[in-house]
Amino acid sequence: MNTPSLDSLGLWLRGTSVYRSIVRHGSTETNRNRSLIVFENLFLHVHPVKVREKTLRFKHTYWLGGITIVCLVVLVATGVPLMFYYHPSVPQAYQDMKELKYVVDNGIFLRNLHRWGAHLMVFGAFLHMLRVFYHGAYQPPRQFNWVVGVFLLVLTLFLSYTGYLLPWDQLAFWGVSVGTNMAREAPVIGDKLRFFLLGGNAVSENALLRFYVLHCVVLPVVLFMFLGVHIWRIRKDGGVKGPSEDAPDVFHEDEP
Amino acid sequence: MSNIPPEELLLEDDDPSRRQFMNRLGLGACAVAAAGAGVVTLDFLKPKVLFEPPTKFKAGNPADYTEGTVRFNKEQRAFVIGTAGGVFALSAVCTHLGCITRYVSDEGVIACPCHGSKFDLEGNVTHGPAPHPLQWLEVAVDDKGELVVDTAVGIPHGKVFRV
Amino acid sequence: MSALPPLSPVESNDPVEVPRRVALVRPDARPSIRRSSDKFVMAYPHLIIREVILFQVVVIFLTIMALIFNAPLEGIANPVETPNPAKAPWYFLGMQELLHYFPPFVAGVLIPGLVVVALAVIPYARINLTAGPLWKGSDEKKTTLAVAGVASVLVLFFGGFQCWAAAVPTAAVAGAMFMARGGSNGGRWKQAMARLTLPQWIMTWFVVLATVLTIIGTYFRGPGWSFVWPWTRMVHS
Ligand code: HEM
Ligand code: FES
Repeated sequence: MNTPSLDSLGLWLRGTSVYRSIVRHGSTETNRNRSLIVFENLFLHVHPVKVREKTLRFKHTYWLGGITIVCLVVLVATGVPLMFYYHPSVPQAYQDMKELKYVVDNGIFLRNLHRWGAHLMVFGAFLHMLRVFYHGAYQPPRQFNWVVGVFLLVLTLFLSYTGYLLPWDQLAFWGVSVGTNMAREAPVIGDKLRFFLLGGNAVSENALLRFYVLHCVVLPVVLFMFLGVHIWRIRKDGGVKGPSEDAPDVFHEDEP
Repeated sequence: MSNIPPEELLLEDDDPSRRQFMNRLGLGACAVAAAGAGVVTLDFLKPKVLFEPPTKFKAGNPADYTEGTVRFNKEQRAFVIGTAGGVFALSAVCTHLGCITRYVSDEGVIACPCHGSKFDLEGNVTHGPAPHPLQWLEVAVDDKGELVVDTAVGIPHGKVFRV
Repeated sequence: MSALPPLSPVESNDPVEVPRRVALVRPDARPSIRRSSDKFVMAYPHLIIREVILFQVVVIFLTIMALIFNAPLEGIANPVETPNPAKAPWYFLGMQELLHYFPPFVAGVLIPGLVVVALAVIPYARINLTAGPLWKGSDEKKTTLAVAGVASVLVLFFGGFQCWAAAVPTAAVAGAMFMARGGSNGGRWKQAMARLTLPQWIMTWFVVLATVLTIIGTYFRGPGWSFVWPWTRMVHS
């Protein structure tokens, strides 16, 4: 009997009317269709259709921004399943950590992934900032995107910091107590700021709930909005800029 | 690309002042609404009732506090200390960033584990980053003659409760 | 099931096969369409395949980490008992180390606030756009005086607070700045140093300081934030 090979199966699939209703362009063997792949796809069309070859070199970006985004994807993919087991209340939050560790299948693995992903994200974002700085890639026309990046770094730190309280163990409690006491030193608004952040005078169940909402909803949403602007601006500013030995951009201050 | 000067691309506007007025009115309304929403949200976020533990605690009989006695109340984060002249209470919350200090009896000092501040038994800073002495707390006796300390009420440094 | 027609080759930079358009680009055009002398390639597959590989590499790396190392979990939070030492996550330990020397307002609010503001204004500060290599084209005497002056003020300031963890790296970076003078005919490292501009030196100083403080806070601090050697710390835990 003649079993169909994987190739012919793929060919058949691509001929079906269902597939053709989703993906309108034909095979990927022509430049025209390769453009269509990128701009007919909601997710891929953050890319330009063509990129400068040299921007793909390792030393151009060291892929550091990309590493940070991959971490973010991993954090969402692991954070959402963790939410199914996590109750932001005292002492249940801590019990949930134990349950994830000892009871839930792969719970400890997901939690580890989430934790190390968070560390790598902070580290990656920081290194990415340094590479942008030393390549002079904050210079016009990229000024605004640099500022967006600074916001992204701060948001990443806040995300990580709010996440740090969630396990409700000794590390979490005292790390956050000391940190929020620092906010108290800010002139005039310090005390109020801390009160609002914690929802009380001390790190307590209110604080846990507030940090949880910030960590799982508010900060990720804001981060993704900034990230969207960041990626969009890369294209609008003419693609990534590499080491300054490259030919400098033509740029006119009087740009409208 | 043609070379029309930008001025000529402006839309026609028969009544610029009217348009400007309407613009300002509309934007102003949006601003007022946004400010209102902001205030209401801030107010919403401010907890009205706090379930925080009571701040007063009983510290036992004054006679128990002979000179040099240091007792630590863990739940209330306070030291109660006996001296020749009486009794006083000291908050155990470090004035630096709020860690809980502990009494190191062999050295006779109160030490903070977080950034290395040290205090003497009257709460004065002897070492480290803490900016102020430990807070003295109000001490009273109830009708049964038992000491009562209120951790929410600070008193001036050095005001010993005479018994 | 009909076979698709045979396909012609793609991806060439041959102008006849892939015709180019001719356009006049005004100098004030969007940045994305300027500077077109570079060679371009299709995003699919060249860029996208690299992104997929990057994703796989990072995920594999994290998976291995997650299989080997467990995320820490200590005892349940206890508001009446501070663990000794109580450490923040590593990226805040540089700040926690500063808290050991400076009043909380300075270490916890002023310095981090200034760092964030300083980062945000980088592209708007003229010097960051115009500066050339520190020792090139500038008055050497003036530069020497300025570098020595600022460095000694900083070292004295940190020294005054007994913050050697900041004073020593500051002095070291200042030393490196002097070493870079005339380094353009030295070895590879010296040449790289000679190319650094003033803003780049400042950033380098910041990075060195942050790294040293973070490492000290992470590995060299034990109970009561006292100085310990990492190996003694290991023995205890
Ligand atoms: C949409 C995105 C995210 C969701 C839904 C999410 C959700 C969660 C949840 C439910 C927890 C508690 C469970 C646990 O502690 O393991 C947690 C912890 C944590 N998260 Fe996230 N998170 C997200 C993104 C991030 C990001 C971007 C960072 C940092 C860069 C981060 C850093 C942390 C840290 C450090 C913890 C403590 C981890 C631990 O206890 O091991 N998270 N997150
Ligand atoms: S909290 Fe006590 S020394 Fe910092």
